[in-house]
Amino acid sequence: MRLLHELGYTNVRHYRGGLADWKDSGGLIKSASPSGAQAPWGRELRARGGAYVAPEFRANRFENALLGLIERCSTSELSLVWLAIILLSGVAYWIAALVGRPALIEHGAAVAGRLDGLATAVYFSFVTATSIGYGDVLPVGMARVLAVVETVGSLMIFGAVIAKFVSRRQEQLVSEIHRVTFEERLDRVQTNLHLVLSELHAISAMCESRSVPHNRLASRLESALRVFAGELGTVHDLLYRPEREPDEPRLRAILAGLAAALEELKEMLSRLPAELGVSPILRAILARISSLAREICGECVPRSYAPALTVWMDRIQALARDLS
Amino acid sequence: MAEVSLAGKQPEFPEISRDELARRLGDPSLVIVDVLPRDSYEAAHIAGAINLPLAELRERAREALPNRHAEIIVYCAKFT
Repeated sequence: MRLLHELGYTNVRHYRGGLADWKDSGGLIKSASPSGAQAPWGRELRARGGAYVAPEFRANRFENALLGLIERCSTSELSLVWLAIILLSGVAYWIAALVGRPALIEHGAAVAGRLDGLATAVYFSFVTATSIGYGDVLPVGMARVLAVVETVGSLMIFGAVIAKFVSRRQEQLVSEIHRVTFEERLDRVQTNLHLVLSELHAISAMCESRSVPHNRLASRLESALRVFAGELGTVHDLLYRPEREPDEPRLRAILAGLAAALEELKEMLSRLPAELGVSPILRAILARISSLAREICGECVPRSYAPALTVWMDRIQALARDLS
Repeated sequence: MAEVSLAGKQPEFPEISRDELARRLGDPSLVIVDVLPRDSYEAAHIAGAINLPLAELRERAREALPNRHAEIIVYCAKFT
């Protein structure tokens, strides 16, 4: 429990009775036998590679094995396999003719086991594998079985090659969209931090003038702090779980904005009229701001940053300490 | 990591009752975490719980529970 709190989890509750109490009360128990329905979040957890998930969540493994194999092969590897299937099948038809068991018929006559026969066999193989099927060369006997297997196999591989080309383009598009969204999000964080700063400044001025009713002051303060906490959470996530890394000047600007807002918050709190009384909601938001900001320091973030950035991070942590 | 306990005060740990837990079983927004060792988890666990043994909690928490503001219920054997 305490460990999770220390790691920054905000909404953790404890089931004190534990497994023993749950069993006593006849609650629903699962064991790791392959039974039971798949929980909706089971797949998601497995995909994240996080916690161990009981085998009850491990369905569809074999279904995905073939797709996984195709996924791992590159486009050129798949194309080579496709070509190899066609050539080997062509050679197989030809060898049948070579050993005296003609497999192909052209214009009513068996295709011979000579060199021109090999060309015809490979030609037939291409026509079959691409599902064109002109019909000028026909398979007979066991060659029909091979022709069917060849068609099904090569069409599947051909489809996979096409799908790979299409999905590569899509992946490029998706990553471009991610990049643009990320840049926009960074812009928004920067703008919002500026807004919070000026709003806190305005609230400070309102405290000084003492002409504004307290309830208005409190509601304005609450909304400003909510935005602040949200953006602080974003910056925190950015540092702890960076899907992409922002460039240094931009991150420095964001951190500087954050530090300025924290400084202004401290200043504003000292000017807050004593009779205003901090509501529990406000107190909770402040506690969240403080705990999030205290986890921003050069040493505690998982990645190492340039000194110009860690200075700001340490400053943010120091300000958060002052705040509480 | 720097110490983060709130204002030097021991944080209080909120609890969930058995009835509430039973009622909300299967709620996808609720993450139930079994912190018992893996073999205990395999033998029996509350339906829908994930396993994150106490010994591995620090290293794997971020990976297994990426949303730090998600509603998380922690349980172990009994009365801890």
